[in-house]
Amino acid sequence: MSDNINFKDLWNKQISIAPNPDNLIFEIKKLKKSNLKKLVLTNLLLIATSVSIILIWMYFQPQLLSTKIGILLIILAMVIFLFAYNESYSLFKNNMNSQSNSDYLKDLLAIKAKQKFMGKTILNLYFILLSSGIGLYMYEYTSRMKPLWAIITYGITSIWILYNWFYLRPKQIKKQKVKLDEIISKFEMLNMQLK
Amino acid sequence: MLLFEEIYKSYWQKIFRLCMGYVNDHSLAQDLTQETFIIVWQQLPKFRDEANIGTWIFRIASNNCLRQIEKQSRFPKVDLPLNLAEEKHPNIEPQIKFLYKCIAELPEIERIIISLELEDIKQAEIAKIVGLSEANIRVKIHRIKEKLTQKFTNHER
Repeated sequence: MSDNINFKDLWNKQISIAPNPDNLIFEIKKLKKSNLKKLVLTNLLLIATSVSIILIWMYFQPQLLSTKIGILLIILAMVIFLFAYNESYSLFKNNMNSQSNSDYLKDLLAIKAKQKFMGKTILNLYFILLSSGIGLYMYEYTSRMKPLWAIITYGITSIWILYNWFYLRPKQIKKQKVKLDEIISKFEMLNMQLK
Repeated sequence: MLLFEEIYKSYWQKIFRLCMGYVNDHSLAQDLTQETFIIVWQQLPKFRDEANIGTWIFRIASNNCLRQIEKQSRFPKVDLPLNLAEEKHPNIEPQIKFLYKCIAELPEIERIIISLELEDIKQAEIAKIVGLSEANIRVKIHRIKEKLTQKFTNHER
């Protein structure tokens, strides 16, 4: 083995001009703001929908219990979605990235497994609650319609719900799964190198 | 209280080289270095163990490199004005280029270990950063250096 190649010397000759730290701090603040904006926007949309449903409740004064339960289920679906979305941000503990590489990889793998489970469970729960909520909610209003119109209304809604359940939901779950599986296998490969 | 600017000045080159050893791509390495300092900036107020600041920063940097496979576009690319100056960077010696190329071809964890070794980090500290025993690190460094020497001698022929 020849020791005449001075790796350290070569290594240290690689230099890069460090950008002004003030620029970096400025960019950090910008990044923080845009992340916050995204979080607020997503939540705002869901909150606005829930608020408008509550307003419907107050103004139209539903008579039947089924309508009220329907409304509650829809709101619950949204709250769960909202909670899961916000939770995925807090899975990463703040001090996690200052652990040793091996501990960090273990934590990342655990988080990915959790995300995989959560993604599927939450999405299923969301669709079930939303669909049954809509179905119950509609009953009071369709019961006042002529039978033919009631059937058409329920028919169209059912088609839409079935389309969601059998097409959109599995597609979304699969998309999440493929992405997570790919990341998990890469992290596992890295973890193997630490044996 | 540690000053961010001071840490930034004394560690930028080191972290850049670590990232460069990991990805062997100048602009990507700069991005990774920047991301590292973003995390450092965010967590510095809570950091107390001042004697081990190096271990702390290198852990953040190497973990960030490891996570690079996960995030392709999670962080929007930050356009810093000085990236322009970097373009004019003088052509570096082919030997330096070759060293970084060889390192980037190693398995990921080995890239981190050899980068830290070449950065003159004590083996006990490397062990703490990576999370392996010191004996294990010593053996690994020896093997990686052999690999590199082999590549260099083959290259020169």
